[in-house]
Amino acid sequence: MSTIQDFGSWLQNTPWALAITGSDWAYPFVQLIHFSGLSLWVGTIFAVDFRLLGFGKNRQTPAQLSQSVLVWNWIGFGIALLGGFLLFACSAATYLRNPAFLVKLGILVPLGLIWHVIVQRRARNWNDPSGLPAGAKIAGSVELLLWVCVAAAAVLIPTVG
Amino acid sequence: MILHICEWLEQIRWIIAVNSSPSGAVIVELIHYLSFFLLIGTIAFVDLRVLGIAARKQSVTAIAEQLFPLTWLGLTFATLSGFILFAGYATAFVRTDVFQFKIFVILAAAIFGFLVQWRITRQARLSAKSGKSVAPDFGTRLLALISLVLWIGAILASLEVAALTGLG
Repeated sequence: MSTIQDFGSWLQNTPWALAITGSDWAYPFVQLIHFSGLSLWVGTIFAVDFRLLGFGKNRQTPAQLSQSVLVWNWIGFGIALLGGFLLFACSAATYLRNPAFLVKLGILVPLGLIWHVIVQRRARNWNDPSGLPAGAKIAGSVELLLWVCVAAAAVLIPTVG
Repeated sequence: MILHICEWLEQIRWIIAVNSSPSGAVIVELIHYLSFFLLIGTIAFVDLRVLGIAARKQSVTAIAEQLFPLTWLGLTFATLSGFILFAGYATAFVRTDVFQFKIFVILAAAIFGFLVQWRITRQARLSAKSGKSVAPDFGTRLLALISLVLWIGAILASLEVAALTGLG
């Protein structure tokens, strides 16, 4: 057994992971934490990306909107990460054998995070209400596509497991 | 009557085709999840702003006017994709208490979302008339709190449908 599989087996046999798995109510609440965090994270990212693409209202500039959602966007990520880690810990060895999970966590999420930080930093300069540079639209489209791919990989986890 | 409609829904060709095709079901599920995230993420953010917890430097009206169209776009796509997923197993879903509860919570949450939007729009008009910026009143903040709790409840109810019934 590889070291990573050993780690997975150890993690899913920790007392707190066993307590979540063995409880009737704890698992859905951990899922609730993960999905509530994801809603804030993905919802606020998509709101900024749609604004960059010129879709929807122009009541705020991308710079204003990105700045408005910044703190709660990352709070959402923190909540999603906490819930995601707890869910992972419950069946860590199984997840570590799942190709969709490995692609999601090993490639797509890091790419999405790097791109998101770049877009968030660039968005500070996209403050002109009359128009946006072509780069803004490209940045928004790429970010949307990356998070759609992350979600697709997540949806495929039970199918390919 | 409802069961007859559900049986009819399950026999519709394109519903059968989508739900029985692995790629079709995955795509509809993906649309359902992403539109639900857009819906809840944007409305929760507006609710948090109304409650004075988020983005206090930006006006409630500006944030609400920017985000509410996306909330309703999310609700539209979540409803359409959810309907397709429901229709494939309609008779099983409709008999389940927790599914009925989920629909009830989502309807209540949507109504409270509309009420929050209506109160913000009304207050924006009053602010424009008086020329003074007015903070959300107690009633609007209470509605926003109820909306936030109901949307969290909607996520939990949706998860419970899958956990308790194996459907969805």
